[in-house]
Amino acid sequence: MSQVQQQERTLVLTETEAAQEGTASDEVVISISAGFNEMKDETLAGVSLAEVLREMMAGVEEQGLTPRVVRFVDNLDLGVIGLRGAKLSGSGISIGIQTRGTTLIHQEDLVPLTNLELFPQAPLIDLETYRAIGSNAAAYAKGESPEPIPVGNDPMARPKYQALAALWHIKEMQHKDEDKPPMELEVSFE
Amino acid sequence: MPDDDKPYADGGSESEEFQEATARRSKRFETLDERAVTEDGFVNEWPDVGFVAMESPNDPDPSVTVEDGRIVEMDGTERENFDFIDRFVADYAINVEKAEEAMEVDSEAFARDLVDINVPREEVVELSTAMTPAKLVAVVNHLDIAEIIMAMKKMRTRQTPGNQCHVTSVEDNVAQIAADAAEAALRGFYEAENTVGVARMAPLTALAQQIGAQCGRGGVITQCAVEEATELELGMRGMTGYAETVSVYGTEDVFKDGDDTPWSKAFLASGYASRGLKMRYTSGAGSELNMGQAEGKSMLYLEARCILVTKGCGVQGLQNGGISCIAIPTSVPAGVKEVAAENLITMMADLEVASGNDQTFTHSEKRRTARMMPQFLAGTDFIFSGYSAVPNYDNMFAGSTFDSSDFDEYNVMQRDLQVEGGTRPIDEETVLEARERAVKALQTVFEELGYPPITDEEVEAAVYADGSKQMPDRSTAEDIAAAEDLMDEGITGADVVKILATNGFEDVARNLLGMLKGRVAGDYIQTSSIFKGDGEFDVVSAVNDPNEYQGPGTGFRLTGEDWEEKKELRFAVDPEDI
Repeated sequence: MSQVQQQERTLVLTETEAAQEGTASDEVVISISAGFNEMKDETLAGVSLAEVLREMMAGVEEQGLTPRVVRFVDNLDLGVIGLRGAKLSGSGISIGIQTRGTTLIHQEDLVPLTNLELFPQAPLIDLETYRAIGSNAAAYAKGESPEPIPVGNDPMARPKYQALAALWHIKEMQHKDEDKPPMELEVSFE
Repeated sequence: MPDDDKPYADGGSESEEFQEATARRSKRFETLDERAVTEDGFVNEWPDVGFVAMESPNDPDPSVTVEDGRIVEMDGTERENFDFIDRFVADYAINVEKAEEAMEVDSEAFARDLVDINVPREEVVELSTAMTPAKLVAVVNHLDIAEIIMAMKKMRTRQTPGNQCHVTSVEDNVAQIAADAAEAALRGFYEAENTVGVARMAPLTALAQQIGAQCGRGGVITQCAVEEATELELGMRGMTGYAETVSVYGTEDVFKDGDDTPWSKAFLASGYASRGLKMRYTSGAGSELNMGQAEGKSMLYLEARCILVTKGCGVQGLQNGGISCIAIPTSVPAGVKEVAAENLITMMADLEVASGNDQTFTHSEKRRTARMMPQFLAGTDFIFSGYSAVPNYDNMFAGSTFDSSDFDEYNVMQRDLQVEGGTRPIDEETVLEARERAVKALQTVFEELGYPPITDEEVEAAVYADGSKQMPDRSTAEDIAAAEDLMDEGITGADVVKILATNGFEDVARNLLGMLKGRVAGDYIQTSSIFKGDGEFDVVSAVNDPNEYQGPGTGFRLTGEDWEEKKELRFAVDPEDI
């Protein structure tokens, strides 16, 4: 039933300008990948990307901070877009998310392959967790040290999703444009 | 499922939409939809990006040109256009002297030699080790699965088949790991592999596994799969006896993403060899595709490149057969066949093979059994790499295809088919004794080193436990501090031997010392080496137990005492009792 309700909200992402380095210390950048809402409007586990983004933004806002959504099309690597988002973010903190739902929280002074929190098994991330990710990212941005969000583990995640995840990754590579800079997005839900 | 009936019972269907939503379903298909296999991920082939198990139209045709003893052209690429894998393979993996001769042999004729019992293994290897990746693939593409099984039976390096297990705990509970390692050793595994939930626990879990294994059977070799530098140091310290998780890949881009090259991997391998430690590499279908960097090539072709990189590094063996990306090959047609084919090419490269069957890829009980049949029926150096000797919920490799709850079924399969699968039946009392001895030995070592005590309550729980759910809570933070102390203080295997020897565990001390002596002797770094596991530390390898299979009456046969042992089934009825 909830799935049906989720389908009803449509996410509209409108490019405004090339993303600039932010100066507001109360902002958290949400870096989305090339195919987010373009290639698919839901995660690998069938969760609506409109709801995912809405929950993450709400999570940031509930901490009193402002989310800023930026799309990267020149690179698909989650560690890379997460880190570059953090560098654009006035607070130095970002959330990175790929279309399939894999998510992390990054910080500007780390290297790509480390991060503050990583959620590698996309299918196990529910909307409540996405909200918590937004909230935790904002807490890091405020200089706090929140308890990390528990990470799920399921021996049957590989049988169900590994091949599909590879397929999605390859499909998303077709949305790549190495010459295009990261773009600032205006977000609306219809 | 029965609830789905309701809409029909309600009758009326005013709108078209409603009719569509409740289109009458076949009960048969509804039943089929409930089967576990429908939960698995299946994908249709997409050769353009390499989403194909075997025979991609983008795979190169085999070719080689040799000038002045050097390969100047290989599989359609001129030397100046070689990527670093081509170059490494051409210069170090292929027997250049025989290369032109090997490449001239008709691929189908050579495929027939693989299954011809009149052609001995040595004769095949002489040419197969001079073939390019594309040629090896072209040969194996001619075989069907029964022929692959036949070829594996002849081509594996060591004549006696074996098995490897996983011993892990989701809580990284050292008492449980020691007890499970002892039981796994008793059950017949030649190698045991540990890994951790929390990386910093590795020194203690490695120690627990090794002590436990030596309580089960002296000579079971153990490893702890962690970050590469830590893994090497644990081996050098004598906390482990071999390593396996050094990964190689079939495209240059994937290598580069990991900041690696074939040369850097070779350097790491030499670190093990110089310390007398056994090691093998890991590769397997799907890893390149997982990164979207398969270059449109088939999984088998890319894996053939991995196999030859391993060969070129001078490493004695390889773990392959999908491994951690297994659900990618098994999602496409002929994927399970491809996985067996990559095991076979490893054998043709004259390398030891630890043949996968080690990670979940399906929800289906039947499919996971069918997947391991080629390796099981043919016999490989390690049929599973490994078999989970703990419940899958404790398996920190995210679950294996078979686990501890399958112990009896796996033994029965060997009894049914008279096949050596590398485990043996064992009675409960013997298991409990070994588990107790192992945990008490570990308890003593912890006490002597001043580590967080293993309480008598923990000892008892570990003896009788199935998994970590039956273990009392234990502080990971305190164990981590002890693990750091172990590394800082420079504790080695020799220190542990001394503690065991002076505290009433002379037998365990002798076995552990045997492991350390094995490294000095260095015999067990020969291809496909194992210790027999009888406490005598005799090495069995491709050198002194070469595979001489040439049809009925030759090669390994499950007969004599080993077969009598397999017949034991603890719940079989004895006719004399009736």
